[in-house]
Amino acid sequence: MTRILAAGVASRVGFTLDEVDDLRIAIDELCFSLVGPNGRQGTVTMCYRILPDGLEVEGEGHFSDGSHEPLLSPLSMQILGAVTDECHLEPGLEGPTFRIVKRHRDG
Amino acid sequence: MPADTDDREQLRRKFARYAETRDKTLRDELVTAHMGLAEYLARRFTNRGEPLDDLMQVASLGLLKAVDRFDPDRGLEFSTYATPTIVGELKRHFRDKGWAVRVPRRVQELHLRLGAVVSTLSQELGRSPTIPEIAASAKVSEEEVVEAIEAGHAYRFTSLDAPSGGEDESALSNQLGVEDQGLIDSEHRVALSPLIARFPPRERMILHLRFFEGLTQSEIASRLGISQMHVSRLLARSLAQLREASTEDDTP
Repeated sequence: MTRILAAGVASRVGFTLDEVDDLRIAIDELCFSLVGPNGRQGTVTMCYRILPDGLEVEGEGHFSDGSHEPLLSPLSMQILGAVTDECHLEPGLEGPTFRIVKRHRDG
Repeated sequence: MPADTDDREQLRRKFARYAETRDKTLRDELVTAHMGLAEYLARRFTNRGEPLDDLMQVASLGLLKAVDRFDPDRGLEFSTYATPTIVGELKRHFRDKGWAVRVPRRVQELHLRLGAVVSTLSQELGRSPTIPEIAASAKVSEEEVVEAIEAGHAYRFTSLDAPSGGEDESALSNQLGVEDQGLIDSEHRVALSPLIARFPPRERMILHLRFFEGLTQSEIASRLGISQMHVSRLLARSLAQLREASTEDDTP
């Protein structure tokens, strides 16, 4: 569902198919980095913001285990770094927070 | 009367009796007598990634249906009647198995059609097309394009409908030159994830080009001579496998 939403929003801001797919991969990897390989009970809130030259996705995870840390592996960092222009994933007050930005390649 | 003509006559009589009595023992005999045909047809599909045993089961089901529906009074040879039924059953099996989750037929068909649309547009535009451009060219809504692309990631690669010719595994493997292989191997000896090293060369190459070299999917597609949508599906599959493997190997 989150992937389809990301693809839908990305298509409306004029992203190319390559960029739409990058965003889908980023959202997938982001969710995996929030809930980890074994899953965590809780909620993830995502806010999409249209920028003049791209798209920003910001939000946080609230998990029942009380963890504030994202579960970011070096490989996930590499993937997120390759498919986004900016990527921040860090511990927050109530849970891990994130912000990714994807810009038009020519933007 | 030659033996095979004699046998055929006996079978014809059995079919006539079965049509009247619907005797299950008779039906089993008729199925057994034509199992060679089912096996012959099943073997024609063995190079598509499905075990022969599974194909034999599917072909046998098709044979059973054919025996049940065959009308000997029409004067048709049973093998002539049964062949399209069995082949139809095998094709349906591949079509249904081709999708990891249930995807509506119209979405499956649109996904397959979009492959060609995206390739044509990419060539015309000299870049990856946008969703509105794909939608306009395919004469469908943008939502339908997004849905079909998403559904494509549920697609398996053993399907009869999977793009072939130039996109098959061996052809792709051949396109990976010695230099490329060396590059992948050296990079991944000190790789961030030893999980990647478990992948076949083609998948390792695509992961490397996208996430370590920064090539776009279209650029990778062009380099490997396959479609962007094929690269997209392979990446999605590889990433899903990586996540699955990291669950198994869950080490801190």
